Amino acid sequence: MKTYSHPEALVETAWLADHLQDPGIRIVESNEDVLLYDTGHIPGAVHIDWRADLNDPWIRDYISPDQFAALCRRNGISETTTCLFYGDKSNWWACYALWAFRLYGHDRVKILNGGRDKWMREGRPMVREKPSYAEVPYAVPTSRHDKEIRAFYDEVRAFLKTDGPLIDVRSPGEFTGELLHMPEYPQEGALRGGHIPGAKSVPWKTAVREDGTFKSADELARIYEEGCGLSADQEAIVYCRIGERSSHTWFVLSYLLGHKKVRNYDGSWTEWGNRVGAPIQRP
Amino acid sequence: MQNVDPALPPRLQEIINLFQNLPEEEKRELLIAYSDRSGECSPREGETFTLSDIRKDQECTDSVGVFLKTDSENRLLFRMSLGSHVQTLTRAMACILCQGLAGSTAEEVMAVPSGFVPKIVGTELVRQRSQTTYYILARMKSACRQLVAEQRRANLASSTP
Repeated sequence: MKTYSHPEALVETAWLADHLQDPGIRIVESNEDVLLYDTGHIPGAVHIDWRADLNDPWIRDYISPDQFAALCRRNGISETTTCLFYGDKSNWWACYALWAFRLYGHDRVKILNGGRDKWMREGRPMVREKPSYAEVPYAVPTSRHDKEIRAFYDEVRAFLKTDGPLIDVRSPGEFTGELLHMPEYPQEGALRGGHIPGAKSVPWKTAVREDGTFKSADELARIYEEGCGLSADQEAIVYCRIGERSSHTWFVLSYLLGHKKVRNYDGSWTEWGNRVGAPIQRP
Repeated sequence: MQNVDPALPPRLQEIINLFQNLPEEEKRELLIAYSDRSGECSPREGETFTLSDIRKDQECTDSVGVFLKTDSENRLLFRMSLGSHVQTLTRAMACILCQGLAGSTAEEVMAVPSGFVPKIVGTELVRQRSQTTYYILARMKSACRQLVAEQRRANLASSTP
C-alpha cells in the first residue's frame, strides 16, 4: 500500500484538537466566504484573506516580500512557525494560501484534512473571539519562488511545445466550453470557452472523498499517475480559473504524491480565455 | 441625510438607511446578525406557495430556494431556503431582501435597481467571489418574472372562450 509522500503536511482534526495551544503552530483560516471567519473559527485561528492579504491591490500578482513579512509579523508568525491552513470549499483557499506562503519560501506548512466543514461536522469548538498575538520578527524574504511552483502565460505557451502534461482541474462544463463562467460568478467570465490545447480534464474534486478529505495515496496514484501518466520527476502544470482549485491539485501532487516539478498557473482561464492570441481547444 | 430612491420599496429603504452610514466594521457585524437570522426566512412547515424555484448551481454554491406567495392584492411574501454552504453575505442578503421586499408586487420587485447593494454591504466586501449578494436579488426577480408569466398565461386561458 502506498503512503503519502509528505504525510507531515496533512493533519487530522483530532490531532489539531490536541495541538490548539501548541506555540509553534499558527492556525490560519482562509476562505472564499469573506465573512465566514467572523461567524466563528477554530480557537486561536487567525484569518488570512486570499484577496485582501495575499493579492496586490493594484497589480494582478501577490504581495511583495516585505508585505508578506509584515503579514506574518502581525499574525505572530515567525520563520520557524508551522502554519496550519484550513478553510471552506474543501480547503481550496487553504491550499491557495499555503501555496502563496511557499512562494515566499515559508516551508513549514500543513493542511487540515477535511477543512472547516469536517471540524464543524465533528462538533469541535468554534469561537467568534479574534485572537491577538504579539508581533514577532520575520525577515523579509530575499526572493520569491515563482520559478519553482508558479507558471506564467509565456511559460505555459512554451510548455505546450514540449507536450508536457497540463491538468485542467475545472468542472467538465468549463473544460468543454459549455460554461463561460459559473452561474454565481459572472464577473469571472472569459470571452471564450474551452481549454488550453492538450490539457487533460481532472476536476479538483476527483482528489477528495465526499467528506472533503483527501483520497488515499493509492487512489490518487491511480488517478494522476496511471490515469494521466504523471510521474514524480516529470514537469506538470495545473490550472483552473483563478488559481485556487489548481492550488488544491498542486498540493495533492506535490505533497501527497511527492511530485517535484509541479507548477500552478494561477493566471488560469481568466487570463488564457481572454488573452489575445491564445489558442484554445474544445472537444 | 439619507438618499431615497423612489424605485426602492419603503421597507428595503429603511434597511438601507440603517446600513448606509455605518462604519465598515459595524456593517460587517450587522450583516452577520442578518445572516444569523436567515433561518427565519425559511419556508414554514405546511406552508404552500404560488411559486417555488430551487436550484443548486454547479460547484460554486449550495442550493438556494426561492418561494413566494401572493395575497389577494398580488402583494408578495418571500421565503428562502439556503443550503449549509451558502455564503454568509448571501445569507445576510436573503434575510434583508425577504424583509425588505415583503408586501411589494412582482412588478415592483422586478424594478428594484441593484445599485443599493454596495450601500448595504460596503465597498470592501463587494469583490470577486463575494458578489453572490447580487445573485439573491437576481433569483428573486427571476421568480417574479416566472410568476408574472404564469399569471398572464392563466388570464389568457380564462379569457379564451
